[in-house]
Amino acid sequence: MLLTRHYPEASPREGAGRGVEVGLSFPFLAAPPPAVLRGEASLDETLRVGASGDAHAALAEALLRHLPRAAPSRVYVGNETCERLLPTPQAIGSWVAAARRGRVALSLVLPPLSPDGLAKAEGGIRALEGVEDSEVVAGDWGTVHRLRSRHPGLAIVLGRLTHKMLRDPRLADYFDSPQAPMPSRSALCRSGELAPGFRALMERYGIGRREIDPFLQPLEEDEWEGRGERLSVHLPYQFVTMGRGCLPAAMHRDGKGKFVAGGPCRTECAKYAVEFRVPVPGGNGAGRHLMCIGNALFHAVPPHVSERVLAGLPSRERVDRVVVAIRHFEGNRS
Amino acid sequence: MKITVPVSHPEEVEMLAAGGAGEFFCGYVPPEWLERYGGAFWLNRRGPVAGNLLQRDDVSLVAERSHARGIPVYVTFNAPYYTPEQQEFLLPLIGRLAEESGIDGVIVSDVGFLVELRRALPGLPVHASSVMASLNPGMVDFLAEHGASRVIFPRSLGVEDIAALCAAAAGRLETEAFVLNEGCVFEEGYCMTTHRAVGALCVQLPDVPHRVLPLTPDAAASLDGKDRIPAREMMGAFRDWVWFQNGCGNSVTDRGIPNGPCGLCALHDLAATGVTSLKISGRSSSGFRKHSSLRMVRAVLDLVEGGATREEAAREAVAIRNTPEFCGAGYMCYYREKAS
Repeated sequence: MLLTRHYPEASPREGAGRGVEVGLSFPFLAAPPPAVLRGEASLDETLRVGASGDAHAALAEALLRHLPRAAPSRVYVGNETCERLLPTPQAIGSWVAAARRGRVALSLVLPPLSPDGLAKAEGGIRALEGVEDSEVVAGDWGTVHRLRSRHPGLAIVLGRLTHKMLRDPRLADYFDSPQAPMPSRSALCRSGELAPGFRALMERYGIGRREIDPFLQPLEEDEWEGRGERLSVHLPYQFVTMGRGCLPAAMHRDGKGKFVAGGPCRTECAKYAVEFRVPVPGGNGAGRHLMCIGNALFHAVPPHVSERVLAGLPSRERVDRVVVAIRHFEGNRS
Repeated sequence: MKITVPVSHPEEVEMLAAGGAGEFFCGYVPPEWLERYGGAFWLNRRGPVAGNLLQRDDVSLVAERSHARGIPVYVTFNAPYYTPEQQEFLLPLIGRLAEESGIDGVIVSDVGFLVELRRALPGLPVHASSVMASLNPGMVDFLAEHGASRVIFPRSLGVEDIAALCAAAAGRLETEAFVLNEGCVFEEGYCMTTHRAVGALCVQLPDVPHRVLPLTPDAAASLDGKDRIPAREMMGAFRDWVWFQNGCGNSVTDRGIPNGPCGLCALHDLAATGVTSLKISGRSSSGFRKHSSLRMVRAVLDLVEGGATREEAAREAVAIRNTPEFCGAGYMCYYREKAS
């Protein structure tokens, strides 16, 4: 199976997974999942135990088929939408130690940050200094600017929230409709990131990697390959939207305190999600599911989209990493 | 502080100028854009037609009439992004608006487009739209380095965050904060949905089938027990909050005052932050609604600038609105933490 400890030869750097690295993201865990880091949980098992079982079970099968012998070689800590879930420097230190023992690399994920959040994040970033192959995934350009100013040697990755493109699950099918005028289709299937201004920013800030979503609409080939940086693609959740007010946190706040940006919470997001079923136009009652996870909405893409993303990997030189979100891992089983 | 007011027709200029507007912003969608993209890709956050000027002559007329009253005009190009081809189309168009129509600057959301605009048109002031989601002092530094002249704060920022960003911007960037109308349930700069064809997702959500999912066995037990009622109340509160953010169902009072997101009773606190402009949003609303909104802001701002205390200004704000039940609910406030 795909055990990092038992099958060290399965390192992606040595050709397993067809050279595509697999990263596992744990957005709600304050402590490392020991079984994963010790290589005692297979990729398959890790995904199947995830809370959204169906999406992950199908994904596990597809990942193994497209990336044979793939093994997780990187873990992501931190939540990309909520700064209340910023890991403390102590927690990051614990992840660093565990990652070293498990011989996996570490990525610290930062959400869009408020002034306070940016200050707090600094402590976590310092805990990463000198950690081989570590990187910080930034969710806003202010954070990018600050990190580059203060940490010249830091590997900064542009998080997927900064990838500005429409990804409305209600309309994605229409974005690629043959009836749509070509300029519209093109504009909805690519971003502005190949324009000179954006390229200048990538160079100015020395960004070598960007994360992207599993878009429902097929991206134009240039969006994948027409850039200098490497790409990490997320599966199986597509980011849809986020706010600073939080729905699950409203569960235990009093009336006027509900939905206040940055207000206190009991991390209800780790206990509850809210699933919405939104209608699609002309769908004769058909709908798409949106999962409210904390202060954000995500859409678990259907298997054919994951298939399209994974099937495209061999021909795409720039995409060398897949990031799989493990929403919950009942496996703090040591 | 200047009051920044939307304008969507040259005929509105005189009325709004007389009402105390300090700046105007507008949208412009040329026919060539509509021919290329139809309604599929909006040139700005309103559109493709509602709330926008459709003829360049109208932009020129707005600028001419505004300048005659000493009021600058900014044109918004605040789509979340523009493809390279769209940027190639827009750069000369904006150049013509600056040179021939006399606009005073543009408002943009795409960070790459900001850089390209500054390179192509270095003399033209560029404002960073709220859609650029400038949330922290690092972003203020970013904008200053890349030549923006103003940062427009996202709706989600509280007064203390605005104060921190104004301090960071002092002497380098002008600043602008929302004061009235047009809420946003999500963070606008990170909302990848569109209002096109299907309407706002946030407005839709309270009325679609949904279920609260426990993620752990413990949570499942809680949802059957102590969290059962809080979970139900959470969804009810969400419905209320969305309704308030959506302009209380886009309603007006019997005195014609628009209901909806409001920061009037926080004006005293906003003034203390040093913010330089106050934005009334709603390009697509009627001239009457724009004027009513402006009158409210002007009245409270005059009090604040005249030396009224925080409490006096807040009391007047609530009295002008004359919807104490809405003000009391709290969900209508832009700056709830400062609401009186």
